[in-house]
Amino acid sequence: MSRRSLAVLTAAVAFLYLPIAILAVFSFNASRLMAFPLSGFTLDWYRSLAGNTNFQNGFVTSFLVAQPVGILGAGLGLTAAMALIAAGRRLRIMLTALLLVPFLVPKTVLSIAQTMVLSRLGLGRGAATLILAQVIVVIPFTTAIIASVLIRLDPRLAEAARDLGASPWICFRRITFPQIKPAVMAAYSMGVILSLADLTIGLYLAGRTQPLSLIVASQFRRELSPDLNAMQVAVLVLTALIVVLTEVYQRRRDARRRGRAPVRQATGETLERPA
Amino acid sequence: MPDSRQILALPVVLLLLVGAILPLTILVVISFWSVDFDAFELVPGFGLASWREILGNPTYPYLIGKAVLTGGVTTSLTALAGYPLALSLLRLPKRWKSVALVVLLTPLYTGEIVRIYAWRLVLGTDGLVNSLLMGLHLVDAPLKFLLFSPFTTALALFYDELPFMTLALWIALERLDMRLVEAARDLGARPLPAFIRVTLPLTSTGLCAGALAVFALSAGDMQTPNFLGGPSGATALASIDNFFGTAFDWPTASALALTLLLTLIVAAALLAAGILRLGGRPARVAR
Repeated sequence: MSRRSLAVLTAAVAFLYLPIAILAVFSFNASRLMAFPLSGFTLDWYRSLAGNTNFQNGFVTSFLVAQPVGILGAGLGLTAAMALIAAGRRLRIMLTALLLVPFLVPKTVLSIAQTMVLSRLGLGRGAATLILAQVIVVIPFTTAIIASVLIRLDPRLAEAARDLGASPWICFRRITFPQIKPAVMAAYSMGVILSLADLTIGLYLAGRTQPLSLIVASQFRRELSPDLNAMQVAVLVLTALIVVLTEVYQRRRDARRRGRAPVRQATGETLERPA
Repeated sequence: MPDSRQILALPVVLLLLVGAILPLTILVVISFWSVDFDAFELVPGFGLASWREILGNPTYPYLIGKAVLTGGVTTSLTALAGYPLALSLLRLPKRWKSVALVVLLTPLYTGEIVRIYAWRLVLGTDGLVNSLLMGLHLVDAPLKFLLFSPFTTALALFYDELPFMTLALWIALERLDMRLVEAARDLGARPLPAFIRVTLPLTSTGLCAGALAVFALSAGDMQTPNFLGGPSGATALASIDNFFGTAFDWPTASALALTLLLTLIVAAALLAAGILRLGGRPARVAR
């Protein structure tokens, strides 16, 4: 580790975490005014957050929207990734191009176009449209995560299972899925996190559903209140917790797998012991 | 015999056809319609009024050009910062790399509105930077250009997209055989020429992937310029939103959205082609 690399990494971490650190500092600052110099330590903003039902409802709504987005995003990403791996050249190019659309089209444009369709069809907007619209934007990410792991699997394992008489479903459940479960979990957390972080799609497709980001955005236009800081820090800690727990879970899983899988191939890849 | 697993593509294909391709097609159709502003109704038909409005008024080509410029500047800045950062991450001991990945990605998980909001606390008149500068007597009055200016937008977008670019470059560098760079250095190439002639061409696919992601995300961002750009924060996307919502002029909104979309796709394709051409260089040297 050279001194220069260390300096670059330190600078990057300082830059990337500066805005977050500032939020945290002001969430403990004993003044309504969010300005330097700091006035002293207080937990008032966290206390007032505990009494702010507006924020709490928003957080619950965000959470309830994010769960189906994570689950559907991971599930559909899994099917798309499996199709992508199995597909011939033509289908693969078509599917990749289709998956790039929600990634490349600006979210504002896609959401407005979707709103136009819903309105022409006389359909209302609400939790269901918000969830589906977020799933569409999440799918390119979840598919890429799962496909990048699927493509490295040894196809001979599944072939062996099929040769020994396993049905396609049993083969998927007992052979393929155990190997890609961490990637599916990662795709799920990606979906949840992108959903929690989204503002743009919500602005158009949420209807009367009010996730936290919309409530914060409406406050943002009027006045900045310090319990907003406390809220942001609370949300950040919770999302960071999701990330850390997923990582810990994966590491434990990997360690367990290494510990109990004695079969090794010439390539050095660890095999799952048949259950 | 075609692989039966191909059928698994069906749910995603259906969802994307209905949820993404159909809406974009509707945009094309509506862009030729007109609006009856007395009845507040859309009138189906085939007219070019909205296209004339968009292409004839210099404001919109200007705003679309600005979107391309925003994407280009953000892409260049993140690439310039992303290479040193990715090269440093590459040199980390192996067991630190997964920690570094979490550290790099966590700022992405903060919502767009949270990041925007935090920048106001850092760059505002009473914010961190101004207070420090005043406290150290480096400036007498708070620097006004820090917040609500093109500088703010550029900085916030750079912050938002840096992790994406770094990740793409890092993955590409992990696959690069570093002995090639060492060989170039041993043969007397100074660090910068070695980077330009060896590292850059051999990581051009990673740079291309990162550049496409950063370009699409930054050129397609409306909230950051809107909340942080101040008077300079006008974007084509905000105009689309305005035509669509406030003005109820869906045909013009559609025509502008399509013009923006086509321009961005062409610009992204040129950018990708330009970067991938970098990859051609080492082959010529080898011959």
